[in-house]
Amino acid sequence: MSGEAAVFARGLTRRFGDFTAVESLDLEVAGGEIFGFLGANGAGKTTAIRMLCGLLPPSGGEARVAGCRVGRDTGALKRRIGYMSQRFSLYEDLTVLENLEFFGGVYGLGRAELAARADELLPRLGLDAERGRLTGSLPLGYKQRLSLGCALAHRPRVLFLDEPTGGVDPVARRGFWDLIYEQAADGVTVFVTTHYMDEAEYCGRVSIMVQGRVVALDTPSGLKARTGGVDMQDVFLRLVDA
Amino acid sequence: MRALRCLVRKEFRQLRRDTALLRVVFALPIFQLLVLSYALNNDLRNVRVATLDEDRTALSRTVLDAFAASDVFVPGPAARDGDELEALLRAGACDLAVRVPAGFERDALAGRVPSLGLDVDGTNSSLAGRGAGYAGAIVMREAERFAAAQAGAVPPASASRVATVVRFLYNPELESRLFMVPGVIVMLVTIVSALATGMAVVREKELGTLDQVLVTPLTPLQYAVGKALPFGLIALVDLALATAFARLWFHVPMLGSPWVLLLGVSAYLLTTLGLGLLASAVSNTQQQAMFTVWFFLVFAIMLSGFFFPVDNMPEWARWLTRINPMRYFMDIVRGVLLRGAGLADLRGELLTLLGMGVAAFGGAVLAFRREGAAGGG
Repeated sequence: MSGEAAVFARGLTRRFGDFTAVESLDLEVAGGEIFGFLGANGAGKTTAIRMLCGLLPPSGGEARVAGCRVGRDTGALKRRIGYMSQRFSLYEDLTVLENLEFFGGVYGLGRAELAARADELLPRLGLDAERGRLTGSLPLGYKQRLSLGCALAHRPRVLFLDEPTGGVDPVARRGFWDLIYEQAADGVTVFVTTHYMDEAEYCGRVSIMVQGRVVALDTPSGLKARTGGVDMQDVFLRLVDA
Repeated sequence: MRALRCLVRKEFRQLRRDTALLRVVFALPIFQLLVLSYALNNDLRNVRVATLDEDRTALSRTVLDAFAASDVFVPGPAARDGDELEALLRAGACDLAVRVPAGFERDALAGRVPSLGLDVDGTNSSLAGRGAGYAGAIVMREAERFAAAQAGAVPPASASRVATVVRFLYNPELESRLFMVPGVIVMLVTIVSALATGMAVVREKELGTLDQVLVTPLTPLQYAVGKALPFGLIALVDLALATAFARLWFHVPMLGSPWVLLLGVSAYLLTTLGLGLLASAVSNTQQQAMFTVWFFLVFAIMLSGFFFPVDNMPEWARWLTRINPMRYFMDIVRGVLLRGAGLADLRGELLTLLGMGVAAFGGAVLAFRREGAAGGG
């Protein structure tokens, strides 16, 4: 499998009626890379991620994720990826541990495996003391770390994070990014969208999407050099307004 | 299989914490059974009668006393003149107005057909027709008895008219309850299973958890089964509770085999759970799902033979009842409980329900497959 891109897209397109949400997306993300997927609201980021996760069939083009063809090997694809949506979407009426058990269990993890995985993940997520707490009673920052944990329970090869840190304070965001780095260090490919430009600086490479098209794709420093922006915020504004 | 077990365990954990829902699905059925079985009574009762006696003879008093003595009628106000009598009826102070005109006794004694005014509030057509018929029978009976006592003979011409109404008279009160209680049970099982599943999936859509589930390898079939199973079990428990209660409280027998009933309810639940899931799959909010399910429920209940016998419906409506799963289940429940119907008697109903169940559940699974591919926001 080495040498093959963890996420690969060529000409990937999605239309809704007359509206083209994603137009001919080309991407190649290597294993273990943290790839930032940036763009204004409505630029087509979520549509692109949903296609790559097998939630939305593409209207055209092709894509491969973790060695599986998107739209073809959907079953295998789902087993190899983890997905955390921009909306908090765990069961609030289940405890922290029960959520983790459910999202691990539906991937076929057995009881012993689940227990071991929980013992490994919960301390790393800083949620060990909250095991028995109802998820609905947790602060948002904790919920997001649990969402990450649930997306990781089955040890995915590629992790899709759709605005994972929306609405939490900078300290919590920094802590969340430490977790993302840990995953990348373990060889997990992280595909992340964000609105926070300081977070874009943490990514290995960044693409910027405007109205369904990728207008720039490079390392943060490369993008700054090319556009003459002082930081990612500046780069983003220059590219989006252009 | 492991994934399905995990999904079902999760559903039960959530249900256990939803104490409000549990109260509704377990306590309300008994409450409903009790209230509806007493309230939904087809027997003629408590028909309020206002009277106007212009004859003021022995016969007119006998006739009016007979109304008061009847189980069906409740004596209401006595009017002083025709206008007042009409006003009473118009104001809703009575359901039936009896006016005994002057000369009533004289006509009866002379062997002429005595005439008497019966005004009925026709807004409740079933009560009006049957109440009037019953009242007419009382009048005839009293007039004939009176004439017979006076003349020592029975006028043969009226005998047949009296005879037809006697069936109302001896319609035992229990009869309609025996018919109604199984109907209420059917309604309960239907509402619990269709409405609960109808809400369950769309709730996950609203909360966003459906998206998170859709990225997992759970198949649409697994998801549908996992969602339906807990509510199916609840409906079964409700059915057992309700039949036990019907037996102990209302003395509704179970003449047939409980296994046939279990088979019938399983086939039926496949249909209602499937339709609930289908409504859920095509709705985006819980309100939409609830209205969709209710819309079909009203049709299903009305065309099930619960209140109105299917045989009395016009041809096109009778045809509609043939695609109504509730009608078949109604036949099965009444058949097993009241007639002791067995597998052989109910084969047609069971097979039809099974076919409908497979179609409904299959439709729901297909809808989820589309949902999984199309996604939400």
